[in-house]
Amino acid sequence: MPPAPKDTRRRNKAERMRRVGALAKGKFVSAKSAPEVLKRIIEPGDILCLEGDNQKQADFLANQLATLTKKDLRDIHLVMSCLTLPAHIELFKKGLIRQVDFCYAGPQGQAVAQLLAEGKFPIGAIHTYNEIYARYYVDLTPRVALIAAVQADRKGNLFLAANAEDTPAIVEPTAVSDGIVFAQVNEIVDTLPRIDIPADQVDLIVEAPYPMHLTALFTRDPAAITDVQILMAMIALRGIYQKYEVQSLNHGVGFNTAAIELLLPTYGEQLGLKGKICQYWVANPLPTMIPAIESGWVKGWFGFGGEVGMERYTAARSDIFSTGRDGSFHSNRAMGQLAGHYGVDMFIGATLQIDVNGNSSTVSKKRITGFGGAPNMGCQPMGRRHPTKAWLKAGAESNPGPGSIPGRKLVVQLAETFQSGRVPTFVEELDAQDPAIKKALHGVAPVMIYGDDVTHVVTEEGIANLAACRTNEERRAAIRGVAGYTPVGLKRKKSETNDLRSRGILQLPEDLGVSPSDVSRSLLAAQDIKGLVRWSGGLYDPPAQFVDW
Amino acid sequence: MEKFDKAFSSKPLAWPRGKQWALAGVVGSGNLEVLFERNAKAPEKMDCHVESSIPGYKDSWLAALGDFAANYPVGGTKVTIHDQGADPIVVTFRLRQAYDHLKKAP
Repeated sequence: MPPAPKDTRRRNKAERMRRVGALAKGKFVSAKSAPEVLKRIIEPGDILCLEGDNQKQADFLANQLATLTKKDLRDIHLVMSCLTLPAHIELFKKGLIRQVDFCYAGPQGQAVAQLLAEGKFPIGAIHTYNEIYARYYVDLTPRVALIAAVQADRKGNLFLAANAEDTPAIVEPTAVSDGIVFAQVNEIVDTLPRIDIPADQVDLIVEAPYPMHLTALFTRDPAAITDVQILMAMIALRGIYQKYEVQSLNHGVGFNTAAIELLLPTYGEQLGLKGKICQYWVANPLPTMIPAIESGWVKGWFGFGGEVGMERYTAARSDIFSTGRDGSFHSNRAMGQLAGHYGVDMFIGATLQIDVNGNSSTVSKKRITGFGGAPNMGCQPMGRRHPTKAWLKAGAESNPGPGSIPGRKLVVQLAETFQSGRVPTFVEELDAQDPAIKKALHGVAPVMIYGDDVTHVVTEEGIANLAACRTNEERRAAIRGVAGYTPVGLKRKKSETNDLRSRGILQLPEDLGVSPSDVSRSLLAAQDIKGLVRWSGGLYDPPAQFVDW
Repeated sequence: MEKFDKAFSSKPLAWPRGKQWALAGVVGSGNLEVLFERNAKAPEKMDCHVESSIPGYKDSWLAALGDFAANYPVGGTKVTIHDQGADPIVVTFRLRQAYDHLKKAP
């Protein structure tokens, strides 16, 4: 019998820090010595957390890690939110990783599919964000966490600016379990604007030779919004937002939701919805919401992360946006996901594939992506107890029986029936159900949103109210009814769709008072990025790739 | 290039005094043009002529046009479509737009 654990972990940490020795002056190490420091603090078999999500990356530390070889680094259990950088992939190519647990692999989706085919990508599981943060506190606690901050002061306190994102959720479980927290910072200063991470929880700091990578993920150019997306936005506004009086919600990335945001001050105002819907938001600061915010629609906003270019705008609208003592935007991905799970009436999001039962996924055989935050919000929070109008109304439609759960969160899938290149969105079976993919994931298909959680599917053909369906057959008929001329849609039976339409389960645009001939780009409150800058009174600074003037 | 003609049965147009013709969309990459014209000679037919730059989607066209003729009273019309690779979703959308315009008073 091995002896019961005592404090070996603490002594092991002290030993690792002793090995760093003179390479660190206090907590500070030079950029040049970073690879050597990594060698000395990481041991074979470690759970290693590399900070990186869909926006912010500890890219300098990732690049240094990728220079190491099997001699220095092996048998690593990598845990992280998003595999995003070529450096992340390099670790697998070199065979340094024993197991990986992660959430999302957007830009590296193809590389991951390739590695998987070659047997070089040993997945534990694909997680949702809060699921992996939870496991950092339970059974995936990092021995070493490599994180990114904007500034450090001489004591080692960190300032995260608008993009706190995952950092607090990584640092706390690591720090309270005798793990080593190693931060890359853009610069070291005497005084921080505010302290986001206390020096107490930081062991090592390196001033990176280049600022951390940040992606402008939530910026959508209004100029690229199509007529069909405007039609869908009108359908959603009348058939969902207005019908259920949705007060609190999440919008993600996507042109469909951007179209809704830009219709609020025009079409939404014509419908008399200002002050009745969309007052509380859990989302990254969306530039396409500037016109609605300036028109007085919004009361409160909490973000998972920031958005490049929205710094001055959010600081100047501190009545609405969460800000730190210094006045600048403050985000937190774990708390944002929690808020999006329990605190909102509606999650509305896009997807690449929806099957005939309403399950959706962004995984294909050639691109293994994952989930990110959508499933944390796009699900029924079974621990919810507080009522709102929308929650009760959706609940009444969904659970008419006595003793059933009284409310239901609106989980809405918004998708055109075809993706670009005439690829149908609606399919009989998801690519995620591919046997090879399921095998790699220990039998679990990577479904993003389960059909059982979805209340509505909205397409340019209309709305399918899945929550009001009483049988699985009905649900499938409702989905076929909005699936247009995809192979799934072509199998619909006229008698079934007519019946669902007469019961209001299927609603076509004309049933909602929406006519395609009312669709006009002039309904968009801003026509382009420049229009958003104008609405912001010059406070929005769009990233260079969006500026063409 | 796909090119075909097909007439669908449909109830007669319910707006006898509307415009003589209506146009929606433009011929441009990823878009299409739908021209609706009144055709007093065949009051119970929607007479369609389709020219598409992308071959191989005749079944989808027939399904979309057939549904349209079944869902709306469009008898007594000639429909001419010039498509330059519009997504299938744009087809029904432009049909509905042109149809709505046709209903409006001249």
